[in-house]
Amino acid sequence: MSTKTLKYETSKAKSLLDEVTERSGQNLRACYQCRRCAAGCPVGDETGVTPDRLVRMVVLGDREEALNNLLVWKCVACYTCGTRCPNNIQTARITETLKQMSKAAHLEPLTPRIADFHSSFMKATEHLGRFNEMEGMGIYEAKTAIKELKKGGLKAVIDEMKNQAKLGMTMMKMKRMHLKLDKVKNRAEVQALYRKANERKGA
Amino acid sequence: MELAYYPGCSLHASSELYDIQCKLVFENLGIQLKEITDWNCCGATAAAKTDDFLAIALPARNLGIADATGLPELMIPCSSCYSRTLVSQKRLSCDPQLKDAINEELGHKVEGKIKVSNILEVLAPKVASGEIAKKAQKKLEGLKPACYYGCLLTRFPCDVDVKDDVENPQGMEIVCKAIGAEPIDWSYKTDCCGASASVNDAEQSQLLMSRIMKDAAARGANCFVSTCPLCQFNLDAYQDQVGEKYGIEKRLPVYFITELIGLSMGFDPIRMQVDRHFIDAMGLLKELKLI
Repeated sequence: MSTKTLKYETSKAKSLLDEVTERSGQNLRACYQCRRCAAGCPVGDETGVTPDRLVRMVVLGDREEALNNLLVWKCVACYTCGTRCPNNIQTARITETLKQMSKAAHLEPLTPRIADFHSSFMKATEHLGRFNEMEGMGIYEAKTAIKELKKGGLKAVIDEMKNQAKLGMTMMKMKRMHLKLDKVKNRAEVQALYRKANERKGA
Repeated sequence: MELAYYPGCSLHASSELYDIQCKLVFENLGIQLKEITDWNCCGATAAAKTDDFLAIALPARNLGIADATGLPELMIPCSSCYSRTLVSQKRLSCDPQLKDAINEELGHKVEGKIKVSNILEVLAPKVASGEIAKKAQKKLEGLKPACYYGCLLTRFPCDVDVKDDVENPQGMEIVCKAIGAEPIDWSYKTDCCGASASVNDAEQSQLLMSRIMKDAAARGANCFVSTCPLCQFNLDAYQDQVGEKYGIEKRLPVYFITELIGLSMGFDPIRMQVDRHFIDAMGLLKELKLI
């Protein structure tokens, strides 16, 4: 659990709370800190931040902490928190919202690999309309390798390649690797949805 | 009887065996699975995490195509695809503006009329009517599966009508019992296995999986059974690695529910591709004299 003291400033608090409430569609004001969500959170021990704490950060207007904490990135979207909330707050929707707000504010992701994986997945899907494991993993591995190499992390890159090659070999052996790319015929339609998504973000 | 069918990307790639098994088993139950045409990826966890619009719009395109078939029900075997599609349908039913904005881009407009079902919902009436037990010429005696549901069959990020018990679902157990298997009672059936983090946050994913493996082993399960290709792949492909890291000796084959039903129906295990698992799935069946 985070030991940092949370500060409260009325005007900041209201604007952040209103923004997150609107974007996530969740009534954060209903949270009475019973911590049932915290008890069920499978990543709470590792992140040091549980969903109740995240709600509190937003309610108190601590924008910096709310957009920059490990739960926002490491949440596995298991939806246990929301399912058990007595006030029907879907906290996972709040982490999803804060993650998108963090990206919109151009903050550096706390866990770049998670961010890169999600963006690689979305890129691969935009390209062919379906997610092809070879393509998505290729984009992801290239992204992470470039970042590691920039930091001088050659060993990390080699280890990752070894791991992936080992899994790839086993998948080949078990005939679970698919080399043929699966595509949507009407990709223009899928890409139109992507365009609309971008326009809406700009608006 | 015909059902619209959305296999999703996994069933066309690393979990192709699940697609093959679904078609075999349902055909035998008198259900024709009609794969919807030109479907796209549902966006899975990545869209939910990164883009609120696409998270609804990507499954919406598939819903439009499914509505246009005129069939009453759409079966989606993958838990992630099922969850995203159901959430999209639900969201669009209460947000007409968003629905209009998405429909503007679509050839087949979403009407929202098709019933979205997971595989257990389609199987449940077939268990209740006794059809599955009747077709089970071979009873799977000695098979003690830990039925693993994972997150997305019973938990949703919005209000949807969940057909099973949220904390202690039974849909898979009733199928297993109908074909003579003896599912064990255990505590981790709806805990997250970390599949969505297996690539990008491996440490976290492995920790979550180790808890699942430990409990299943301690309760005397001799295999896992799953309905989700993402959970199945995760538990299967990484079990060795997690076992070594956390000092868990037991390795359990991870069957798809369709594999077990198919076996009981007398389908050849090779035709069902039971030999395509990472953790050997044939050995236990031979040991129990089921094949």
